[in-house]
Amino acid sequence: MASLAATFGRGAMTNGWVDIKNSDVIFVMGGNPAENHPCGFKWAIEAKKTRNAKLVVVDPRFTRTAAVADYYAPMRAGSDIAILLGIIRYAIETKRFHEDYVKVHTNAPYVIDEAFSFSDGLFSGWDEGKHEYDKSKWPYQPDEQTKAYKVDLTLQHPRCVFQLLKKHVGRYTPEMVEKIAGMPKEKFLKVAELVTSTGNAEKAGTILYALGWTQHSSGVQIIRAAAMLQLLLGNVGRPGGGVNALRGHSNIQGATDIAGNTEILPGYLKTPIGAWQTVADYVEKTTPTTLNKQSWASMNFWQNTGKFMVSLLKAQYGKNATKENDFLYSLFPKVDGSYAGYSWMHLFDDMYRGSSTKLGKQEPGPEGFLTFGMNPVAIGPNSPKMVAALAKLKWMVVVENHETETAGFWKAPKDQYGTPDAAQIKTEVWMLPAATFAEKDGTFTNSARWMQWKWKALDPPGQAKGDPEIVGRIFLAVRELYRKEGGAVPEQILNVAWNYTNPIAPDQGEVLKEINGKALADIHDPKDPTKLIRAAGQQLENFGQLQDDGTTMCGNWLHLGVYTEAGNNTQRRNNADPSGLGMFHNWAFSWPANRRIMYNRASADAQGKPWDPSRPGISWNGEKWVGDVPDIKPDSPPGQFGAFIMLPEGVGRLWSPVLNDGPFPEHYEAVEAATDNLLHPKVTSNPVSKRFSSDKDKYADRKDYPVICTTYRLTEHFHYWTQHQHNGRLNVTQPGFFFEMPEAMARQMGVENGQHIRVSSPRGSITGPAIVTKRLLPLTLAGEQRWQIGMPIHWGYAGDPAHTGPLANLLTPSAMDPNTWTPEFKVFLVKVEKA
Amino acid sequence: MATTQQGMEIRQSSASLRGTATGARKLPVVAKYIDTTICIGCKACEVACAEWNDLPPVQTEQRGSYQTMPTLHAQYWNLIKFNEIEIGDSLAWLMRKDQCMHCADPGCLRACPAPGAIVQYENGIVDVNPDACIGCGLCETGCPFDVPRYHARTGKMAKCTLCVDRASVGLEPACIKACPTGTLHFGNKNAMLEMAEHRVDQLHKNGFPAAAVYDPPGVGGTSVVTILAYGDHPEWYGLPKDPSVPASVRFWKRVLKPVGLIAMAGAVVAAVGHYLTVGPKEPKDQERPS
Amino acid sequence: MTDFAAGAAPPRTAPQENTVWNGKLVRHSAASRVIHWTVALFFFLALFTGMPIWSPIFSWMGNLMGGLHVCRWLHPWVACAFFVATIVMWTHWHADMKMTEADRGWFGPKLIEYLKFSGEDPNVGKYNGGQKLFFWFALLDAILLLLTGIVLWFSTSFGAGLREASILLHDVAFILFGVAIVAHIYLGTAAEPGTFTAMSRGTVSKAWARLHHGKWYREVTGEEKRR
Repeated sequence: MASLAATFGRGAMTNGWVDIKNSDVIFVMGGNPAENHPCGFKWAIEAKKTRNAKLVVVDPRFTRTAAVADYYAPMRAGSDIAILLGIIRYAIETKRFHEDYVKVHTNAPYVIDEAFSFSDGLFSGWDEGKHEYDKSKWPYQPDEQTKAYKVDLTLQHPRCVFQLLKKHVGRYTPEMVEKIAGMPKEKFLKVAELVTSTGNAEKAGTILYALGWTQHSSGVQIIRAAAMLQLLLGNVGRPGGGVNALRGHSNIQGATDIAGNTEILPGYLKTPIGAWQTVADYVEKTTPTTLNKQSWASMNFWQNTGKFMVSLLKAQYGKNATKENDFLYSLFPKVDGSYAGYSWMHLFDDMYRGSSTKLGKQEPGPEGFLTFGMNPVAIGPNSPKMVAALAKLKWMVVVENHETETAGFWKAPKDQYGTPDAAQIKTEVWMLPAATFAEKDGTFTNSARWMQWKWKALDPPGQAKGDPEIVGRIFLAVRELYRKEGGAVPEQILNVAWNYTNPIAPDQGEVLKEINGKALADIHDPKDPTKLIRAAGQQLENFGQLQDDGTTMCGNWLHLGVYTEAGNNTQRRNNADPSGLGMFHNWAFSWPANRRIMYNRASADAQGKPWDPSRPGISWNGEKWVGDVPDIKPDSPPGQFGAFIMLPEGVGRLWSPVLNDGPFPEHYEAVEAATDNLLHPKVTSNPVSKRFSSDKDKYADRKDYPVICTTYRLTEHFHYWTQHQHNGRLNVTQPGFFFEMPEAMARQMGVENGQHIRVSSPRGSITGPAIVTKRLLPLTLAGEQRWQIGMPIHWGYAGDPAHTGPLANLLTPSAMDPNTWTPEFKVFLVKVEKA
Repeated sequence: MATTQQGMEIRQSSASLRGTATGARKLPVVAKYIDTTICIGCKACEVACAEWNDLPPVQTEQRGSYQTMPTLHAQYWNLIKFNEIEIGDSLAWLMRKDQCMHCADPGCLRACPAPGAIVQYENGIVDVNPDACIGCGLCETGCPFDVPRYHARTGKMAKCTLCVDRASVGLEPACIKACPTGTLHFGNKNAMLEMAEHRVDQLHKNGFPAAAVYDPPGVGGTSVVTILAYGDHPEWYGLPKDPSVPASVRFWKRVLKPVGLIAMAGAVVAAVGHYLTVGPKEPKDQERPS
Repeated sequence: MTDFAAGAAPPRTAPQENTVWNGKLVRHSAASRVIHWTVALFFFLALFTGMPIWSPIFSWMGNLMGGLHVCRWLHPWVACAFFVATIVMWTHWHADMKMTEADRGWFGPKLIEYLKFSGEDPNVGKYNGGQKLFFWFALLDAILLLLTGIVLWFSTSFGAGLREASILLHDVAFILFGVAIVAHIYLGTAAEPGTFTAMSRGTVSKAWARLHHGKWYREVTGEEKRR
């Protein structure tokens, strides 16, 4: 998500599920949609059947997706960037990229300042002491005369982005890719040829990925490389194109939109930092400066940040937030220092060590913990550390459907998890039974950003309650305590607006109305003050109606339009599709503004004509943009604004100077490197990647742990849920934990199919049956034969004893991406023995 | 269902002396369409089958495969078979939904000794009537696809009914309903064959010269129309290459039984004839019994 | 040998096999007859439970036995009993059933000759070659029926080839038995009057014995050849 935002402006799947049917080439890497998204994957099949689309799969394992692919190529886990940059190099060298698109819709012509350099695996601005980059060393070069970015539309300037990229990827020859990725040269060339066949106006190709790219110590940069490839091929913004992030939960997109991460507020507003003391400060620090290219301007939509933030504060504090008191911004929660210390990875590190990293280890670690619909012991790396961390808490509240590994952490088998004796653990645990998805109203926001209402199907069992009621009751009780007893800053709680008809269990429709926002006073057209746009109390209809003077409130600006005066738009179920492209504008609501394909301005050329008239995203009819809901000012003629309205440049970023590990992606080995980095042996792993240093954070050396291991999910199971199902159907179809190992490796070790093996890392050890398969191939790395194995994640020690098993994360390391702090679950080192 | 499906016309039934066809209505033959080239092995069909038919869960164990269990089971009528096949330097992971093929010439029905225990409806569905089934297991021998299973608890044979209870009211079978990718369709067999031929043409053009529809003539065709990318190697999918009702079963039913009947009847006739012509053999020096 | 003929009061003890008793020759002891009829009973039970499974023509037999489901359940058990009884019969009779030089031709010409009822062979012992053949045939066929029957009984435990072979062999064995049993019954009743009493009362008349089993008659009575 972070990388898509850094490249296109928004962190979400660019297109949609149904749109995959419009693709000519579906490139699947870093994901296994047939396994993990079987229902959405039908659209890939549809493209194969109706368009004769080519499905290309690159994966360390021959997956269920590979089983129906037109072409499959094997790779080494963790070599994604080398392959993707190799394809970019191939596209540039063979001119199989969409040149017209690149010139109009990307920052390829931008000239980069002399301050940028790259050598020996490090970009300029490297601070060896802090292990960080100074991103100001990667600036665009302004034009002295126009003060805008300097560009060279011929793409010939030696320091223009295109030429820098060409030079950067020049090292990723097919031979080098073969050496790094273990993908035979012919197979690489075939993949490159198929993928770049869409680098023109006639064809469109999509990339589907999921956690196979995210969960790496360079995960964000892998996705960056894919996003750049798609920009180069001219596939972004077009029907049948895009970089499509397939989300693993039914509502993970919705969670991200509404502030799922520590560094963002609802609608991806940046979380305030303590140093930003006023709204004006906040707006100044977080609003990017509009810097225009010579010909096109950027809408730079984030220049409305003030309106978004003030409307959010009005939603948060209601009438208590006034212009005079700066909308109570001072009470709004803020972080100290950088966002990093607030990630849940750091939270658990703090918990385990008993001290906080946030302010230079001056504070004690957390003593209480509330976990809501999350099972950190199971989903976090290095499970023994997770268990040990919880054992140091004073209290924990778990809101869940079942007793999870987290809820009963002290029951973790001591021999595997090193669990402290129960008598030594002082953690007091409360478990609040929660309703499941079918037992409450609400919305799901799918990968395609469709917000779809779901109705409660049945009452929750026993004392279980829906989340709104659990949150409502906790809030009211806490507020009552603050009201009675005071406390550190009672105003923070006492000023919160809680104006629901039923304050104990707020109606989800009311909450959605609040998220959409409404006018708090009459709002007039700024051009014509006699014209009333919205009367006080009316639901807002579009972004343009938001105000920064406190006359509008809006819980999440991005969702604006979801609940208008027309009603709850997530409940719309009209499946008419006049476009024939699967847009379904009257089905549910798709943020932003019910737009089905983001950046759709890029589906048309400089004049506003669709690249492919048979698959128009939007087109300019002389007066306005028609087609999908335009991702640009609807009446702005071609040439006025760039297609990527959320970026200050207004164009897609082949060069992105905002990420923590470089403006271009670069191949680095995993933190637990299986081999030296062939490109720059001195910098083997991502220099900015994060790891922890507690006594439980041990990392493997390839001499002792020579086998590459990866983790994944199975279609038969939903995360850790099915282990709770007594005699359930899904436990019949996949009865238990297993490893998968290559046939040749099994032969060498004398392991029979189904026989048990023991797999160990410095964190722990697991014994389980091995599926001996042809679907995993041996690798040759630096002339040596090496193996990769894998295991699914679905089991744990909680639930029906007939279906428990080892947590895969017993083996995984706490190694993290420097931008998102996502752990590296997809590559780590182990040793394998016969059990 | 304790008996055959109400309202379905029967074309033929097992172990019957004379025609058992019912009714005058002519129903079109239906078929399942299975496109193995786009099956992702998700097992939704397996679960839907077990759910719709209320089949209690079977205890399974991980023994080194993604396949749920080694073969079909009396409580598991729908099983995706997973096969890893090396073809040159590439690999195929073939997934095929295995279930009753609903043969036009059903070997199970041929072999079945219990009158009416196996019936073939007018629309081609082959069904078991548990009331009449005596659980002898002969159908297992008669089936060239290794489908029927003896259920130890009920002492009856069990297999896929093609959801005749759904089909008879115009619904598709549960497995078809559950399929997320369009691998499975259901309809009149002619329409399914037409769709399949269309897809096979596409496969021919896409580098699968041997792609074919599996509708084996040896059993008169099946009400399961299967598309195989490697049509010349059905065995890669766990399908017999040229299936037919076993010759032994045919010989047994068509030759041995009549011959046996004639032989035994002949023996009786011969005895009577002998008595009439040669007559009894009695001692000439008859003694009075004392 | 003691001759109890001519009005002598019969002893209370059971007559010994191969003796003259009440002017008759004792051909089968009570034990022999019980064994024979036990075999016969189970044979017919197996037949009546098997025939309806074999062909719907005999479904009436199934009805007689309580329905096809009962037949399916009963058939293997009565068949087992039949087999056990046959084995008992074998232990009891096999000594008398040794094929001798004189029985050689019974597979061919002698059988035809015999069925023509045209001549008498005065040198036939207690059992003629045909009877001995039937005895051994019944034993072997019972074994065959048992073995193939077990495969059919537990068919899921056996491979397809064996199952198919068993279906055919079980049928062949049964058909042969069926034909043989018709001959057996015919010859034991209508064709040769006086024979049936051997298995009912256990005795046969002297004339019968002289006619059919001349040698045995002489051995039992001690009479010389009457020629």
